[in-house]
Amino acid sequence: MRFFHKTNIDFMGKRKMWYTISAIIIFLGMLSLAIKGFHFGIDFLGGTELIIEFSHPPDIGKVRTMMDDAGFLKSEIKAYGNPQRLLLRTQLQGEGTVIGDRIKAALNKTFPELNPKVLQEQKIGPKVGQELRRNALLAVLTSLVAMGLYVAFRFKFIYGVGAVVALFHDVAVAIGFVSFLDGLTIHTNFEIDQSMIAAFLTIIGLSMNDTVVIFDRIRENQKIYRSMGLEELINRSLNEVLSRTLITSSTIFIITLILFFLGGEVNRGFAFALTIGITTGTYSSIYIASAIVLDYTNYKQRKKLQPAAAQKPSYETINQ
Amino acid sequence: MKKNRGKLVFILGCVLLSFYFLYPTYKDYKFTKELRSLTGPDSLKYIDQNETAIRKARTDRIKLGLDLQGGMRVVLEVNVMKLLEDMAKNKDETFNSIINELRAEAKNTDQDLIDLLELKFKAKQVRMSRYYGSIRDNDDDVVKKLRDETGNAIDRAMAIVRNRIDQYGVSEPSIQKQGGRRIIVELPGVSKEEEVRQLLQGTALLEFKLLIEPEIAAKVYESIDKSLAGEVVSDSLLGDTTKKIAAKQDTTKADTTNPLDTSLAQLPEDQMKAQEEARKKHPFFALANTFQRENQGWDGNLYTAEDDRGKVIRILERPDIRRYIPSDMAFVWSNKGEIVAEGKRYFVLYAVKRMPELTGGVIVNAHATIDPTSNLPVVDMEMNSDGSRDWARITGANVKKRIAIIMDNSCFSAPVVQTKITGGRSQITGMANVEEAKLLEIVLKAGALPAPVDIIQQATVGPSLGEDSINQGIWAALLALALTAAFMIVYYSTGGTMADLALLLNILFVLGVLAGFQGTLTLPGIAGLILTVAIAVDANVLIYERIREESVTGKTLSASIDAGYKRAFTAIFDSNLTAFITGVILFQFGSGPVKGFALTLMIGIVASVFSAVVVSRVIIEMLVEKGKHVSFG
Repeated sequence: MRFFHKTNIDFMGKRKMWYTISAIIIFLGMLSLAIKGFHFGIDFLGGTELIIEFSHPPDIGKVRTMMDDAGFLKSEIKAYGNPQRLLLRTQLQGEGTVIGDRIKAALNKTFPELNPKVLQEQKIGPKVGQELRRNALLAVLTSLVAMGLYVAFRFKFIYGVGAVVALFHDVAVAIGFVSFLDGLTIHTNFEIDQSMIAAFLTIIGLSMNDTVVIFDRIRENQKIYRSMGLEELINRSLNEVLSRTLITSSTIFIITLILFFLGGEVNRGFAFALTIGITTGTYSSIYIASAIVLDYTNYKQRKKLQPAAAQKPSYETINQ
Repeated sequence: MKKNRGKLVFILGCVLLSFYFLYPTYKDYKFTKELRSLTGPDSLKYIDQNETAIRKARTDRIKLGLDLQGGMRVVLEVNVMKLLEDMAKNKDETFNSIINELRAEAKNTDQDLIDLLELKFKAKQVRMSRYYGSIRDNDDDVVKKLRDETGNAIDRAMAIVRNRIDQYGVSEPSIQKQGGRRIIVELPGVSKEEEVRQLLQGTALLEFKLLIEPEIAAKVYESIDKSLAGEVVSDSLLGDTTKKIAAKQDTTKADTTNPLDTSLAQLPEDQMKAQEEARKKHPFFALANTFQRENQGWDGNLYTAEDDRGKVIRILERPDIRRYIPSDMAFVWSNKGEIVAEGKRYFVLYAVKRMPELTGGVIVNAHATIDPTSNLPVVDMEMNSDGSRDWARITGANVKKRIAIIMDNSCFSAPVVQTKITGGRSQITGMANVEEAKLLEIVLKAGALPAPVDIIQQATVGPSLGEDSINQGIWAALLALALTAAFMIVYYSTGGTMADLALLLNILFVLGVLAGFQGTLTLPGIAGLILTVAIAVDANVLIYERIREESVTGKTLSASIDAGYKRAFTAIFDSNLTAFITGVILFQFGSGPVKGFALTLMIGIVASVFSAVVVSRVIIEMLVEKGKHVSFG
């Protein structure tokens, strides 16, 4: 069986259009980020978080009043996966685990008939949250730099730049989507927590993987078709690996989609980010990473040609 | 065939090794299933019978993270602020104002508290030695001492926490030091927060208790033994002496009550029978051995193998047994087991007086050193004046008797009192090595100077949420795997089938490595495993697409396979290496569950490159050599 026979698509010809589309998507994402922002998970914020299961869906308004009465103003209350499960979170800090205990006591007092059960409890001190945030940022930046260096070393410098820009693009798009969809339904509570950071890093890894396969083919073809122009060469390479790119990406896409729908609440944010990431990762290898290599090379050639043309006579005279 | 023989042997070796590592996990699963089907007394009986095997399977199986089996994860931090307060002596107004300023400042800064404290003292032009250390110390000396002390505090806290958790009876607890001030405690299957919190945070209780004299203990143990064997315990027996125990030992010379004699020789069958009979005759001593040597008096201790400890505890708690135990008598176990015989770890059961003679508050200092004359490790212990007075009375009245040093209900040492000790300075000898002496020092200090810890992070996952997520995770993983496998067969026909085979081996390898290296499987870990599948598929796709390309150019099948593998390799290598780098970074910076994800991802990447580049190739080449037609769709 074969889906893709010899294709001959002019990928690079339309790169300007795709630059624009990417820019628009990222702009919209940043807009959502600016307006809606995103939620940090408990591990980055610090505070106390409880996931409670009730025997019947409780009245959220009543839960809020209860929390306010118990002294936890501005706490976060939302359904977690299904209406019977609630996530309660407050950023108040207390000695040890008193906050969690007070919330539990209040719940048992207010909803004795709903038999509230604690499924999960987390308490994170403010310093720890700070530390984890710093570590997460460091992890993402380090991996971007490490990837860029590796590619620059294995290929050429501009390839490394192209790859890293593509990675930035992927992470930016993913953050935009996460921010936009967060809280739209009870199944999409996407928070920037540790597992989301793990997802971003995985996106970086997968996108890189894709980019490297394409760069590898370009490198190989450069040795075979020495006189071919770069644009044609890149197009040729992209067409040659297109079949692999799409099959791998769609397999991963399906896997992450299954994880998203069936993998449970805990893995959902992670799976969602990956689903977005694998799509943008595939696209960015072509229209960002490869396109930047092409544009930069063209730009350098033009720059080299222009001054060279202007100065040509003087050099010749000196040489002769 | 020949050129692949070496590789084939290697692959088979890996497969066998993986199965070997995974076997305990399978056993554990079987035991758990068996135990679930049994109820009440039946399940207790089953545990009694298979305790060793169950325990072994437990320790060697793949560990499940807290998110999968439920449990508690607590991060403790030594409270340096409180420690600085507790350590000071002669506190006055000046000191209090300094400490209050420091406390206010500490909330908003990450700076080192001891540095800050030093600055504060300098600013007020007060010598630190007024409150810390001895008068002759200059500020630098004091700072150094404070630093040592805060460093020691974490060791003390670790010792306290470890001891309590061991007693609490959590299976597979993990207690790790993180940096200089933090302790990470993971307690699988535990959800009673209140209890655990008290367990972790309360001040350690250090007690000195007199050991019950061997003669009296012997009578009690005799009665218990008789009662268990179904014999009538006559009142006259309660007047017997240790000699009787010694006699009993003689009659059952070759039985398990004295494994020292039997451990080396293979037991002939009739001796095995005799052993079995002795077991029936002395059910209690079969579990709690006296380990008495010839021509030596019995010291009053019983020794119980690690696996039998639960049984002995259950026996001693039985109401029908309790009546033989005097009301002023209590039992404590040694803090750790020692290998006495048959390579088994034995715990010592001490019979002690219920009321402590002294508690740890009287200890001023303790210090482990090597005695210069004897060259043996010793611990010097110093008490305050109140304690010294009591200590002189206690030791004076109990010369040649033993006093147990007990922290939080486990005995760390039970030295014999040599003389009456006046002046409050005692030396404890008889430790096997420096580490033991150091531990005793830590324990003694824990009585004097608590190691205040704060819970800075705590997570409890209820077992039901854990079960939910494990089921959903596994279903998703299986579905993803099945779909991918089906697609590969449809798209690449024979090649796809081989790839699937390699894929299965890949998963086997990852799990095998996890089990072999005591890794932990977490929910993100399962996600990592699924991603591994994706990466493995990618490697195969790269190769097969290449083989297709090559065969279009008119090469023979085996030539295209060769070229396909060769040409695809650089792409596979580069792309997997970059993914591996992200794994390493994630492992470095992540914590808890994220580390689990990174770990499976890294193992998975290595395994998938191996299974795609080596395993599937060997299989395909072997098929081609046999003249089978291998199609790549």
